[in-house]
Amino acid sequence: MNAIELHALTKRFGTFTAVDALTFSVPSGTIFGFLGPNGSGKSTCIRMLCGLLEPTSGSATVVGHDIVKDAEGVKRSIGYMNQAFSLYRDLTVDENLTFFAGVYGLRGERLKQRKSAVIELVGIQPYLDRRAGQLSGGWKQRLALAAALIHEPDLIFLDEPTAGIDPVARRELWDLLFDLASAGKTLFVTTHYMDEAERCNEIAYIYLSKLMVHGTPNELKALPEVTPEGTHRIAVATTRPPNALTILKKEPFTLDATLVEAEIHLLLPVDTEEAEVLTALKRAGVEDATIRPIEPSLEDVFVTLTRRLAKR
Amino acid sequence: MRAALYGFGSIVFKELLHIRRDPTTLIFALLVPMLQLILFGYAIDFDVRHIRTIVLDMDRSRESRDYIQSVINTQYLDVVAYATSPDQAAEAVRRNDERVALIIPPDFARRYGTDRPPTVQVLVDGSDSMVARPAEEAISRPAPPDSQSVEPRVNVLYNPQMRTQIYTIPGLVCVLLQLITVSLTSFSLVREREQGSLEQLMVSPVGRLGLILGKLVPYSVLAMFELVGILFLGRLIFDVHIAGSFLLLVALAVPFILAALSMGLFISTIAQNQAQAMQMTMLTTLPSILLSGYIAPRETLPAPLYLLSEIIPVTHFIQISRGIVVRGAGLMDLLPSVGWLLLLTVLLLAGATARFRKSIA
Repeated sequence: MNAIELHALTKRFGTFTAVDALTFSVPSGTIFGFLGPNGSGKSTCIRMLCGLLEPTSGSATVVGHDIVKDAEGVKRSIGYMNQAFSLYRDLTVDENLTFFAGVYGLRGERLKQRKSAVIELVGIQPYLDRRAGQLSGGWKQRLALAAALIHEPDLIFLDEPTAGIDPVARRELWDLLFDLASAGKTLFVTTHYMDEAERCNEIAYIYLSKLMVHGTPNELKALPEVTPEGTHRIAVATTRPPNALTILKKEPFTLDATLVEAEIHLLLPVDTEEAEVLTALKRAGVEDATIRPIEPSLEDVFVTLTRRLAKR
Repeated sequence: MRAALYGFGSIVFKELLHIRRDPTTLIFALLVPMLQLILFGYAIDFDVRHIRTIVLDMDRSRESRDYIQSVINTQYLDVVAYATSPDQAAEAVRRNDERVALIIPPDFARRYGTDRPPTVQVLVDGSDSMVARPAEEAISRPAPPDSQSVEPRVNVLYNPQMRTQIYTIPGLVCVLLQLITVSLTSFSLVREREQGSLEQLMVSPVGRLGLILGKLVPYSVLAMFELVGILFLGRLIFDVHIAGSFLLLVALAVPFILAALSMGLFISTIAQNQAQAMQMTMLTTLPSILLSGYIAPRETLPAPLYLLSEIIPVTHFIQISRGIVVRGAGLMDLLPSVGWLLLLTVLLLAGATARFRKSIA
């Protein structure tokens, strides 16, 4: 069963095509990463899938509801969590949850039961009487997640849920998302963090309004376009990585070079020996370099594919 | 001193850039004072002329017709209707259809020029002292050369002492009520948009009408309390008693408050941020004060502005408020004003609901 199916979904604003014939599906119970640069059409696509915008052409179903014919059915069966905290800052945590429960038609026992369920899930019990505006960034996002889950949706849209929160809160939020996925929920997540993309079961990458690639992280890393025939990737470790990067970028054998943590990731022709690289570095005064072969990271995947398309 | 001034030029430059990037704010800031000038210049004319007058001529003689003509010639009174009975003439004044009734007795011509000059009965609506005074003067010093030959008996209805408060306070109630209702609502939707909660609501099953009416109701209740409070203070401090039914006034405030709140909502679907909402609220406040008949009688307005004043909710509520408080008017007398308010509410609500769809997309 697919939680979301898109068939040539398209949105035009005047002459500008914001979303260009997207076709893919999101299997139920997965964490689905929806990635792409800012302005690539991600938000427009999500707004259509949430029933906020009507598509210009094409169609899509969300949890079995057609997004045009049954926008109300879509709204009832999805949760939505925005990148910017968008609950009421002047209401307490408890009041916000009660309000959103009411908006989804929860009353009486059911309301109490759902509220305590989401409160326990995100662990916001100690802050129930605090104004939402006075929570820290991480707790705000937990509250937003609790509100998005209040009506027990099967599918939750998370639009950059971890933007601007600290690493610990980010990790904790992701632990929550894993719990939700293992409970059978489908999570549709947008993010710019590559480590978060690595955690997704499947990824779709949007570039210039079009679907560029779709697959599991491993499938994407194995794409021939990412490591073209006749090339290979190595990581170069030294004590002064920025200097080494500057030196290697000038070498004729370097097809692509970038700094990842303390290493330089290099894309080289297959016939370039590791010794050539080490010699080039020594010539420029970097003596302590070591080399190991590597697989491309997701960042390599997106950077390489995006550059290829931009060159055309 | 140099340290304190450091960066002055850069700040000026940056502010100019801000102004250029946000032309709406600039246009409003410059437009409002110009509008003010035009409105004050045209709308406020304390020299009230052409007061609507109904005439009952029971004599139908040449003398009576000459007399009516002489009254018209003062230019203060416009004869716009003729009555067939004294009751009908008085009724027209009570309903505020006409401001002055002139009743000429059957023996007008017979007693004209004798030493028992004819008495002409004049009913003046005193609820608006700015109209009543010139009307009274125009009748008391008519132009005919043998002016001693007619004895007008002026009867000021409803505010015989022509106390200013009796006519200002019922109007002020309306203007204040409009101020708070429009500003309360115009901010509420804009605030939701600014803090992002509007989007959160739009992905939920909340209906557009559910959202808009849900926002209207609490503010309506607040506004009703405000109305009762102002009326109570008016009585306590300024001794303004309600001649008609207090309950009727409260009941007829409902369509007015709804219209004013709908106007606020309409503004909040246009304004992009709270600063713009504030400017647009100001823009509606000025005509509400100047054109509604609150300050100067609407009779003095030039025709285009008079038409404009009809689509301002407060105009009609001032009619209702002065009608009930000063003249003791009943529901039937006020139906046209109620009709206007309901019409405006429906139009503004429809506009707000329609604009709302576009404003979230």
